[in-house]
Amino acid sequence: MTEFLETTVDKFIFRVATDRFYNGEGVWAKEENGRVRIGLSDFVQQRSGDVAFAEIKPVGTSLAFGDEVAVIETIKVNIAFTSPVTGNVVEINPAMVEAPEAINQDPFGEGWLAVIESEDWAADRARLLDPQAYFAHMKIEAEEEAKKL
Amino acid sequence: MSAMIQSGNGQKVVIVPCSGIGKTYGTVSREAAYDLTEDLRPGNAQLVPLSLLVLGDEAARNAVAANPAITIDGCKLACATKMVQESGGTVAQDFAVLDVYRRYRQFKPQSISELNEGGVQLARALAEEAAEIVDQLIAGGQNG
Repeated sequence: MTEFLETTVDKFIFRVATDRFYNGEGVWAKEENGRVRIGLSDFVQQRSGDVAFAEIKPVGTSLAFGDEVAVIETIKVNIAFTSPVTGNVVEINPAMVEAPEAINQDPFGEGWLAVIESEDWAADRARLLDPQAYFAHMKIEAEEEAKKL
Repeated sequence: MSAMIQSGNGQKVVIVPCSGIGKTYGTVSREAAYDLTEDLRPGNAQLVPLSLLVLGDEAARNAVAANPAITIDGCKLACATKMVQESGGTVAQDFAVLDVYRRYRQFKPQSISELNEGGVQLARALAEEAAEIVDQLIAGGQNG
């Protein structure tokens, strides 16, 4: 069962799942038997707003760490996210076509974006933030956002 | 969207939009309700403010209890739909602005106090869809 780090900033509660790694944009990566499932953090989905559309690189796409892997469109913004993994896209979440609000409803679960066949997960992981480091990074970002309200 | 029901006796259809302030989708929902009740189907569609239902206003509660309702929600909280149901009304059709936007991606709404052209067009598209539902409900009532 996934455990979370949690913080409250202003009236918002943000959670960070502790069983995965993160890039600085808030894209999480969770290794599963040699493959890596990716998605967006709770903070990213709350900051972005209700997701109207999500476009994920199709199955078969070869990605390097840092390549664009997904674009989401909300009422507020269009945001491109980069891959936290080098490898090939082997699966994309079918919910992203018909019900991308899954990103908002369950960012660490049903709202995952894609599964990537990793070429060298150990090397990628070394470039990512562990949950505690991302939690600290996210808190700073959240506090900056709160100042704008 | 929920399953549609028939109005039963040809009465008016009540329209309950989101009352969220400071959100673009909320503004779209209200603009669509105005389009529907003032321009497209003024004779058959009646606007009922969500705030009156929240306050327990007797006339508003009676209106939703006696007529089928179309709700237009601005976000996933679906306050309009929930409030109609809690007021003893029956939701004939519930629209979520986000879902409607997905069908009309070319109409991207922006701004809040005054919608951009995309928002105005999205509201109109939503109102036209709702007008068809009003027609079906009224026709169903007359036939029933």
